[in-house]
Amino acid sequence: MSEIFSSIILPAVIFMGGLGVLLGVVIGVFAKYFKVDSDPRVELVTELLPGANCGGCGKAGCSDFAKSVVDGENPPGKCPVSSPEQVSSIARALGIDAGESFARRAVVCCGGDVEQMVRTPNYNGVLDCASAVLVAGGPKGCSYGCIGMGSCARKCPFGAIEIINNLAVVHSELCVGCGTCVAVCPRGVIKLVPAEAEVHVYCNNPDKGPDKRKVCKVSCLGCRKCERYSAEKFGTSGFLASVKYDAAELPTAADVEAIGCPTGALLTAKRHLEIETNNPEFAPNEDK
Amino acid sequence: MNYLELTVGAVLVNNFVLSRFLGICPFLGVSKRLETALGMSGAVIFVMTLSSCITSVIYNHLLVFEISGRRYDLRYLQVLLFILVIAALVQVIEIMLQKLSPKLYQALGIYLPLITTNCAVLGSATINAKQGYSVLEATIFGCFSGVGFALALLLFASIREKLELSNPPKSLAGTPIALITAGILAMAFIGFSGLC
Amino acid sequence: MKINNNAVLSFKGGIHPSGNGKDLTSAKAVQTAPLMERYFVLLGQNAGKAPEPVVNKGDVVKKYQLIAQASGFVSANLHAPTSGTVGGLVTVPGPMGVPAQAIEIVSDNLDEAVEPMESIDWRNSDSKTILDRIARCGLVGMGGASFPTHVKLSPPPDKVIDTLIFNGAECEPYLTADHRLMVEAPRKVLEGAAIVGKILGVENIFIGIEVNKADAITELQTIADGYGVKIVPLQVQYPQGSEKQLIDAITGREVRSGGLPMDAGCVVQNVGTAKAVYDAVVGGIPLIERVVTVTGEVVAEPGNWLLRIGTPVMKVIELAKGVTDDPGKLILGGPMMGFAQKSYDVPVSKNTSGILLLSKADAVNYGSGSCIRCGRCVSACPMHLVPCLLGCAIESERYDLAAQNHVMDCLECGACAYVCPAHRPLIQHLRRAKSEIRRRSQKK
Repeated sequence: MSEIFSSIILPAVIFMGGLGVLLGVVIGVFAKYFKVDSDPRVELVTELLPGANCGGCGKAGCSDFAKSVVDGENPPGKCPVSSPEQVSSIARALGIDAGESFARRAVVCCGGDVEQMVRTPNYNGVLDCASAVLVAGGPKGCSYGCIGMGSCARKCPFGAIEIINNLAVVHSELCVGCGTCVAVCPRGVIKLVPAEAEVHVYCNNPDKGPDKRKVCKVSCLGCRKCERYSAEKFGTSGFLASVKYDAAELPTAADVEAIGCPTGALLTAKRHLEIETNNPEFAPNEDK
Repeated sequence: MNYLELTVGAVLVNNFVLSRFLGICPFLGVSKRLETALGMSGAVIFVMTLSSCITSVIYNHLLVFEISGRRYDLRYLQVLLFILVIAALVQVIEIMLQKLSPKLYQALGIYLPLITTNCAVLGSATINAKQGYSVLEATIFGCFSGVGFALALLLFASIREKLELSNPPKSLAGTPIALITAGILAMAFIGFSGLC
Repeated sequence: MKINNNAVLSFKGGIHPSGNGKDLTSAKAVQTAPLMERYFVLLGQNAGKAPEPVVNKGDVVKKYQLIAQASGFVSANLHAPTSGTVGGLVTVPGPMGVPAQAIEIVSDNLDEAVEPMESIDWRNSDSKTILDRIARCGLVGMGGASFPTHVKLSPPPDKVIDTLIFNGAECEPYLTADHRLMVEAPRKVLEGAAIVGKILGVENIFIGIEVNKADAITELQTIADGYGVKIVPLQVQYPQGSEKQLIDAITGREVRSGGLPMDAGCVVQNVGTAKAVYDAVVGGIPLIERVVTVTGEVVAEPGNWLLRIGTPVMKVIELAKGVTDDPGKLILGGPMMGFAQKSYDVPVSKNTSGILLLSKADAVNYGSGSCIRCGRCVSACPMHLVPCLLGCAIESERYDLAAQNHVMDCLECGACAYVCPAHRPLIQHLRRAKSEIRRRSQKK
């Protein structure tokens, strides 16, 4: 027994142990000379962030944003994807103020689906909005509305945009307001609005009323009916009404009811979604 | 043993990735961009050369020794020993890279520590031991095995950059088409088999 | 200089469109269109800044009267196409597919003209006087880009211009407007060319003409010597009439990537512009009309018409006795580089060289396949780009890769898409990449 110990086990243990110690010393020396001062807080914040890497904060991905939070450049609330709980947990971990939360949602300011808007029949190019807009200004009659080829839907990291009846519609419960779609849309018809806003003007065409009417049934005519109802909540620039999103009080479904927009361009997001999805002729899941 | 034969054999005929099928993990993992593939290749060549050299010194000269008339043969410890040496080497390189080239460090990501368990590195050390290469031969073999690995990785990375632009059937898109490409690349390397 | 022998010159690359539709109109003499009831003179019809209107609704204007004043240097004046009252600033369908602003002129059917400007004795005038006249008359390049002519003829002093080339190639299928112009008004074209040569102080003046216009070549060759102009026969090859290809064919020089023709010591103008220069300088007449080819298999009577700027396309088609069948597509310009239109109410502008109605069979969508890397587009590209690679890169939104591979040098001639056996919409991809890259560089 002791023979085995002294001839096999002991030399092996001594040899491997000695080598281990030697290599450990070498690594130690290197670690000392090539020391990198990394901030463990950056890693911590990165872990607490949602990791969507959507770029909605304006930084190149979550770890970049984490660095800017640790450096004090941005408040954690600038992340559009994080829930308030996530934001406050980051703030608590760093012992700083959470900052104002920027909860926003995207909204496609256009109601011009296949039924409502005049279309040019003979577009036969690439099915992509940015490409289509280069050919005779796109396949729809309106030069300001949604093209409906789904460039935004393909880019949305959260799958929140659906193309229904050739019109992009945002499902606000899925949208986090990262703004990816806003950058993609060649028409600039997608806007970021406060998350709690429920009423929007679904038209983006600043032309004169009759010109709009020629191409689209649900365009805003600029009649100022909504502005007359409440100048605090609505404004009109040129011939296009808009909701004043930075006003103290946002319009509600009851307001929409009371105004009774003559073309139906002023809608709640819920009603807009209902109109598009319940269109029997163009039901989204219907096999054709 | 002819050194030319050794190098050509290591790079082309018995290419570590494409004919021995060692080191497949980084081969598939780090080949999406040519830039990171270059970094990985450099790191692997470096680790392989050094580890082959050091392990061969230890294996050839330190594992069999005599103390006070008794002969000890510790060669049965080789695998354990090789892993220990390689792990330490990789650790050192990781520390250095983090300081010297943080960008490459980030790009390599998890694959850098994975060189530790890269079977190609361990494989070259084991082959050195099995073939009974001298220290010089082992170093050359290690270095050129690394070059072979780099060759395969860079070829594959440049093909994958093109693959990214093409439009394969949906079921093949991504990893499947990459694996098929790797297979075809390996078949092409069979053509070298009569070289030496 | 390539040109010493009488060889027929050309460039490398390009395509030879078969059955190029020129037979429809090449023998048809230019007819003058009757007066229309209304004209819609587009404001933004020159490259650069749109001019400012100087008339108001209800004003009475006469033919040749200034109705919009150039705003800034890169801009061009607009003149009333006929006499009548101004109907105001209206929105009409623009040639680029988006609605555009236009000045409406309601004709009084009298066609009274203001006193034309004095004729300039250009041989004994300095170039500034002539350039001023050209700017006053609102001349723009009539080939398609509609860049204001006076700007193009005022190169920066550090650029040495030694060659002046006039483009009579008319390489676009179907179009014969320039062809007819050269046959019917050769002396005006040649004198206009000589005037431009005088402005630039250039002695080497060439007019490049494709050999399928044999009558134009002989017509011009017999009298060209008197104007110090050389006629160069060119091969029938598309896009022979593109600036850079024309320079390559005639002088053998290459315009470097991202450069302008003036970097190669050349200025290229359209023959239509030469004629307009003659009218402006010798005749004292501003640019209010141009020759337009009205053509297509479905047009009842294809032909060439001298149209006032601002004539609605619908009226022009009526002049050509309407259509024989439902047209598949309306294109302003030629089939390769022209712009498809949504509306027949779009008016003729200074750069409208053709009104083309494609039949339904010609406007069919073949559907696009995957790139098979056959490389036909590579040999067809006159700019020596690799359209197949660019197309794939753009499809995967790798604009960086496209920019690296010089997508910005693409002249959108359409040769690649024409030859592609997979019917890939390469030009649309390339255009998208160019607009995207431009947008991104503006952002920075």
